[in-house]
Amino acid sequence: MPDLRPYLVLGLALGGVFALSGVGLVVLFRATGVLNLAYGAVGALGALIAWSLINNLGFPDWAGYVVALAFGGIATLAYGVVFGPPLAQRDPLVKAVASLGLTLILLGIMSWGWSYQAHALILPTTNWGFDLGGVRVNGTQLLGLGLGIFVTGFTAAFLRFTKVGVAMRSLANHREITAMLGVPVRRVEAAAWLGSGLLSGATGLLLSTLVGLDIVGLTFLVIASLSAALVGRLNSLTVTLVAGLAIGVVQSSLTAFLAVSSYRTVTPFVFAIVALLWFGFSQRGVRST
Amino acid sequence: MKAVKAVDAESSRSALAERTGMAAFTRVAPARAIRWAVLVVVLVVIVLAVPVLLSTYWVQILTSVAIYSIVTLSLAVLMGRVGLVSLGQIALLAVGGWVALRLGFAFGPALPFPLLVLITGAITSVIGTLIGLPALRLSGLYLALITLMAAAAITQVLAATNFPNGGEGFLGHSSANVGNAVLARPDVMASDAGFYRVVVVVTAVMFLIAILHVNGKAGRAWAAIRQSEAAAIAAGVNVTLYKLWAFALASFMTGIAGCLLAASAGGLTTYGFPTQDSITLLAVVLMGGIYSFWGPIVSAVLLKLIPEFLKNWGLPADVLTILFGLGVLQAMTTAPAGLAVQVPKDLANLGRALTGLARKRLVRVPAPEEHAR
Repeated sequence: MPDLRPYLVLGLALGGVFALSGVGLVVLFRATGVLNLAYGAVGALGALIAWSLINNLGFPDWAGYVVALAFGGIATLAYGVVFGPPLAQRDPLVKAVASLGLTLILLGIMSWGWSYQAHALILPTTNWGFDLGGVRVNGTQLLGLGLGIFVTGFTAAFLRFTKVGVAMRSLANHREITAMLGVPVRRVEAAAWLGSGLLSGATGLLLSTLVGLDIVGLTFLVIASLSAALVGRLNSLTVTLVAGLAIGVVQSSLTAFLAVSSYRTVTPFVFAIVALLWFGFSQRGVRST
Repeated sequence: MKAVKAVDAESSRSALAERTGMAAFTRVAPARAIRWAVLVVVLVVIVLAVPVLLSTYWVQILTSVAIYSIVTLSLAVLMGRVGLVSLGQIALLAVGGWVALRLGFAFGPALPFPLLVLITGAITSVIGTLIGLPALRLSGLYLALITLMAAAAITQVLAATNFPNGGEGFLGHSSANVGNAVLARPDVMASDAGFYRVVVVVTAVMFLIAILHVNGKAGRAWAAIRQSEAAAIAAGVNVTLYKLWAFALASFMTGIAGCLLAASAGGLTTYGFPTQDSITLLAVVLMGGIYSFWGPIVSAVLLKLIPEFLKNWGLPADVLTILFGLGVLQAMTTAPAGLAVQVPKDLANLGRALTGLARKRLVRVPAPEEHAR
């Protein structure tokens, strides 16, 4: 049995980020019925823009990070405002497929603009760290886990206690009736798009430090977060958090076992399959679509 | 209420597409014989003349267009006919290629090529159905997600296992053997021209199978499922069976395409099947159109021929990716029937508008109203 502690730290950090983006996906899905598959691509482009600002244009680091976050928020909000309303009455599947269109546009822009350069974005928190039971833990890893837990708790409280949060939950239940009750539906949806977009910007920055600033890799890390969200039935924030952490830890720990280490990235898929089999055969209705 | 409304909108939309899309294909019964005759003549010309007229380079590209039109056909049938969205067809294509290579290296010339193609299709069909199985009991969104994840997982596994190239063991890959994994072709199609001809014929057979399905009992069941699953169940359609059947058929076709791809010039490489391509495939299929059988052909041209033109003109292929993305958004919001239907319709509208305008100018009589159609 190899020593799993270093992998546990890595896994918890990665899992925290999976959970963070999973929560971003779930919040948006609950409020608008849109499963934003462009989530990873938006984060990746934000991180690339930050990289260019810092390394090519000489911006201070913090300005780059702020721009990356802002880009995530604004790009997602713009998509939501333009394509949300015309698709509002369509099937969730149609909405998800439309977001793949945005994914392709962003992928095209990224490989056009950034393909021929080597990128590395290291958050300053990485330079700070401490020893925990003989394992080095750096600031970014702590930030990933901490932000994952914090955002889950914060979002749950937001949905529970604030006026906008309650409006989002009622939107999730019934769009027409919510509109009839006088809730400004489009403004509430815009808030959900913006919030989810800001989270995608944060995810992009964290992942580009934790895993590497790779266009395709970052774009499709949305899949791992998706499995976390799926295990939470695209509904429960707590389950999404736990599933995200579990996926991160399992995937990272498998690195230690040589026989399966090259297959470790299949972990999220296995989680999702098991969860779907469970839902499918337990007949406890999955959120109707 | 919301769900009912969504279903209504969906069904009216698809009914519209049904009218416009299928009308182009089977408008009047007497015209059908002529249409088929023309198709057969065109096919014969494509099979016989093209390899003579074009260089080997373009013959190879047209071969890949034909192979990919089988893949786009499978996705178009799934999406247009049954309403199932699969985001893993490219990964399944890779699975088909893997199976074909594995069988090819295991049995060598002892296994005749047609049999190899069929067995590969069957095995891929089983694998594809197994992937879709857990999600088929849930809503369409879950099937799309699970196939997307499967695509990512298969890409990762392939990167680790690589394609069989005559090595030992179950995986059959040996890093000692250099070069790409290529399936040996029998003598009949050893040349690129010969292989091209075989591929076009196989593609035509696949289209025929799809058309027969759509016009038969399966097609009617699929139409019922697509328009309303609840109504289909009420009418006694075995929804799970026909969904599975559609998935199995699509995977079968994709597997056969994978087998052909493994035998085509250059063979297979693990970086030839990125997850991104499954999304691009969805984009071109939506742009080409999922309700008409011309759609898959347009899609395959968009996917394999247009990038070659761009390359020759020195334009970056990324522009095309961006255009594909815009195409998806456009198809989802305004033109669900795709280019194969939309462009003729737009041209017809333009023509009507122009003749209307001309008539107004010349005769000074108001243009005929809509009911004149």
